[in-house]
Amino acid sequence: MKLDPDQIKKRCKIKGLTLQELLESAAVSRTAYYSLARKDSVLPASLLAIAGELGVAPSAILREAPAAEWRTRALIRQAIRVVDQHPQASFENVWHTLVLLEEPPVDRLRRSLLRGRAVDLH
Amino acid sequence: MAAPSIFTEQEQAFLRELVRQRVDFMIVGLAAAALQGAPAVTQDIDLWFRDLGDPRLQEALKRVGGVYIPPTPSTPPMLGGRNVALFDIVVTMHGLDGFDRELENTIEVTIGRTKVRVLSLERIIVSKKATNREKDRLVLPVLEDAVATLRARNHRS
Repeated sequence: MKLDPDQIKKRCKIKGLTLQELLESAAVSRTAYYSLARKDSVLPASLLAIAGELGVAPSAILREAPAAEWRTRALIRQAIRVVDQHPQASFENVWHTLVLLEEPPVDRLRRSLLRGRAVDLH
Repeated sequence: MAAPSIFTEQEQAFLRELVRQRVDFMIVGLAAAALQGAPAVTQDIDLWFRDLGDPRLQEALKRVGGVYIPPTPSTPPMLGGRNVALFDIVVTMHGLDGFDRELENTIEVTIGRTKVRVLSLERIIVSKKATNREKDRLVLPVLEDAVATLRARNHRS
């Protein structure tokens, strides 16, 4: 299985990102990316060997995690990086901010109002 | 996505009318913070107007079935009517400059189909520090961490 740069470009376009921005956001260096892009297979040789013995494509013996899991893991990495840069910041606050930034502003405000009305602050 | 039972289309219509009538206003307080991603909790949407006597404000209210209730010695200026019940009028923003100066410290946020001016998180923090009530002090770490998160995110992209 090779990396598909066209697919990456297409996904970047959908998210409104350049490749540079994507790599920065994912904390992946250009060197690492292009090294990956040049490989004939991004999967480990042992996995390819197992698939070969079974006579199936490597994807047939891989279980893919749902997209939400990948996104959550990416956000966790971002939160860790923010807290590393700002040690006084609370991981919880940073995490919740990142999660809210995934939503449109109107939904962020709705959440805030719903919680505010459920818990009387005054 | 949160349930759309609050801040419905009818309630958003007031903001739309304010923009359509070209009323000078901005969203401030914790609603402004929440719009920018801060995990803050609020009960209402605070609006700061340049001029409460602006006839365009009256027109916007009229179009959504709302009314302006002027201040009395014992009550602040208020808004009345079902579609504007979620909104509060802010008369003074402690620790901040005047409306025109602070307008430079706003960002544009899209709510539904409407672009509104929202006071920046940094200026909300200044205001909360100046007001210095217990509830303001409690929310400060949340706002400061949100600023750190946004800066780190913007720096990366």
